Amino acid sequence: MLFNSLNFAIFLPIVFILYWFFTSNNLKLQNILLLVSSYFFYACWNWMFLFLLIFSTLLDFYTGIKMSEAKDQNGKKFWFWLSISVNLGFLGVFKYYNFFATSFAEAVSNFGLQVSPWTLQVILPVGISFYTFHGLSYVIDIYKDRIKAERNLIDYSVFVSFFPLLVAGPIERATHLLPQIQKKRVFNYTQASDGLKQILWGLFKKIVIADHCAQYANLIFNNSADYSGSTLVLGALFFAFQIYGDFSGYSDIALGTARLFGIELLRNFAFPYFSRDIAEFWRRWHISLSAWFRDYLYIPLGGSKGGTWMKVRNTFIIFIVSGFWHGANWTFIIWGTLNAVYFLPLLLTNSNRNNLETVAQGKYFPTIRELLSMLITFSLTLLAWIFFRAASLQHALSYISEIFSSSLFTVPQLDDLYRALTTIMLVIGFVFVEWIGREQQYAIARLGLNWVRPLRWVIYSAIVFLIGMFMQTEETPFIYFQF
Amino acid sequence: MSKFIKSLFLFIPFTIVLYVLFLVAWGILIPSEFFIKSNLNYRIGTYGHMYSRIEEVKKTKNIDVLFLGSSHTYRGFDPRIFKAKGMTSFNLGSSAQTPLQTKVLLNRYLDHLNPKLIIYEVYPTTFSIDGVESSLDLIANDKNDINTVELAFKLNNIKAYNTLIFGLISDFLNLNSSFVEPKVRGKDTYISGGFVENREKITTEKKYAQKKWDFNENQFKAFNEIISMLKARNIKVALVYAPIAPALYHSYSNNQDFDIIMNKYGNYYNFNEIISLKDNQHFVDSDHLNQGGVDIFNDKLIEILNNRQALPTNTISYR
Repeated sequence: MLFNSLNFAIFLPIVFILYWFFTSNNLKLQNILLLVSSYFFYACWNWMFLFLLIFSTLLDFYTGIKMSEAKDQNGKKFWFWLSISVNLGFLGVFKYYNFFATSFAEAVSNFGLQVSPWTLQVILPVGISFYTFHGLSYVIDIYKDRIKAERNLIDYSVFVSFFPLLVAGPIERATHLLPQIQKKRVFNYTQASDGLKQILWGLFKKIVIADHCAQYANLIFNNSADYSGSTLVLGALFFAFQIYGDFSGYSDIALGTARLFGIELLRNFAFPYFSRDIAEFWRRWHISLSAWFRDYLYIPLGGSKGGTWMKVRNTFIIFIVSGFWHGANWTFIIWGTLNAVYFLPLLLTNSNRNNLETVAQGKYFPTIRELLSMLITFSLTLLAWIFFRAASLQHALSYISEIFSSSLFTVPQLDDLYRALTTIMLVIGFVFVEWIGREQQYAIARLGLNWVRPLRWVIYSAIVFLIGMFMQTEETPFIYFQF
Repeated sequence: MSKFIKSLFLFIPFTIVLYVLFLVAWGILIPSEFFIKSNLNYRIGTYGHMYSRIEEVKKTKNIDVLFLGSSHTYRGFDPRIFKAKGMTSFNLGSSAQTPLQTKVLLNRYLDHLNPKLIIYEVYPTTFSIDGVESSLDLIANDKNDINTVELAFKLNNIKAYNTLIFGLISDFLNLNSSFVEPKVRGKDTYISGGFVENREKITTEKKYAQKKWDFNENQFKAFNEIISMLKARNIKVALVYAPIAPALYHSYSNNQDFDIIMNKYGNYYNFNEIISLKDNQHFVDSDHLNQGGVDIFNDKLIEILNNRQALPTNTISYR
């Protein structure tokens, strides 16, 4: 079931009504409702993989209890590593096995050996990377004595499977989400109406911006050999807004939906394209994943303690692993590595925490220096996105080499000018609204908040209208579902 | 909670009203090029002379032969040729007309056209597509009624809903009252009786990749309903697969599958197998006959129907 589907538009109000009108006096019943709804939501995609989700939940729940009951460190360690290996084992089989098998075969073929790798004909269970990371953070936190093991299976299962975040995050922490599940939720008008507004903005990002940009990004990337350098730049730009609109749109809908149920999820995006350096970009893009890698990989590896070499090594490790998390393809690994390379000068000059505040805070316009910094950072991410989007390394390299040819200085070839211009105008309008609202949780959070209600509603109705005017006639899945 | 529910119940009608207002403003103010790319595609008097055809059909009564189908119909069946054989006819073809639109047109015009024979052009593509674009043609160029509302719900497509809302308001406000469609558009000339004449020839021959027809069950459902309705009304029906350019026809590997399906309905004629036409002589483009092709096709069709005593007037002495 997709957030941008009619099914979800029916599902959500039903769960909302049952949640607040029929189960609100009984926390246990409310959590059972959330769990059943979440499993139904997941089963709509493929009911067979529901068993995998349930197994993963049970595994982490019971290993968590076993760890806390372990009499000595060895016993604790045993249950910890059991959970880690099974979780990563599932991820490895479903997501990475074929990649390793074919990469191995390609590598040995360089030495004249022909190996026919045995590959698995399996589909990737949607959301596996996300719920596995939920479970991992939970068992690591118990192992490190940061939290106590949860004893209520229903509460723990809701933490793993809560439908707004189940298939594409944000990647939650037990310390943040579990307490909210354990305590009685009280309906809050401001929170719920804010949630609806955030859902609306998320739908706009996905349906109007991402899906429209996708048409051009797909056309140009899939036929890149036919296009000039200038058109390829345009293709990369379209992809940059496609992936931002798609993923941050998804996150907005997830956060907004959770708010309707009185639950606050972790923020996942904070206007990353207004970043002044790459470190700021990574503090603003897919925040829950970056924070996960920081807390469960970078810091355990030694973090920034231990000298320059250690910092550089750890930074490369988390970016490469982050790239690999996105998919079993060399393109993602190079994408991660490239970001680490971008990060390096900031790290070596200790300037990676220079830009912690929102750009041009309290002002309408940025300074020339800020504008240039944003443009440079955006250009760097644009170059990296080419690797992320390309079908293969070869494809990415030929795409980039065409960009840096003389054809860069030609007029972009657009077969359907009006359509492209419409999309470009929509993106410009979108960037403008995002800039206006960049100091908020999401762009329209406070838009018109001091105006009279009818005027404010005109704005929301205009967004509904734009969605109706520009939505695709077929449902389009979110990019991050494949991760 | 009650405040939230109250706000929601106020917001929903507020948004619906504003949505309609925005839609009307967009339809009137935004240049038509943008229409094509958004979910409002209200284009009156465009390709295919649908507006003129609808204007004329409203004034036409009691005919011998009615032609239904896609652009192959309004470019393929010439009422002048049928008139020369003593039959009155009207061509109610429309671009990419699928059975869903055919049903709407029959509900509107069958009673007063009162045909003795319907020549229903069946083209596999119209059984393969969803029928959204062809519905928009119908919504924009004819007065809307319960049939188009029903059609929009059947299509369940945002483009159809938006265009229908704009169409209903446009009908109500009479926005198209001053519109006059030119008889000649490019190389196309509208001929009284719903036909569009074109005398061009294909200049370059195209090669087509091998492909297969992939049929849409909804269209067959509507088609069955049409055939049942016509049978119930005792109207003769001839199903005709009009000629397309041979290169295009032979690029489909499952033409026979379509023939088998259509033969089940009886009185089916696949003219791609009956007559032999040439890509670069008898066609305007890969899909449509030019006037030379139409003359050959219509003569042969009349001959066959006459031999089978299928024509409404079996008094024709054919050559």
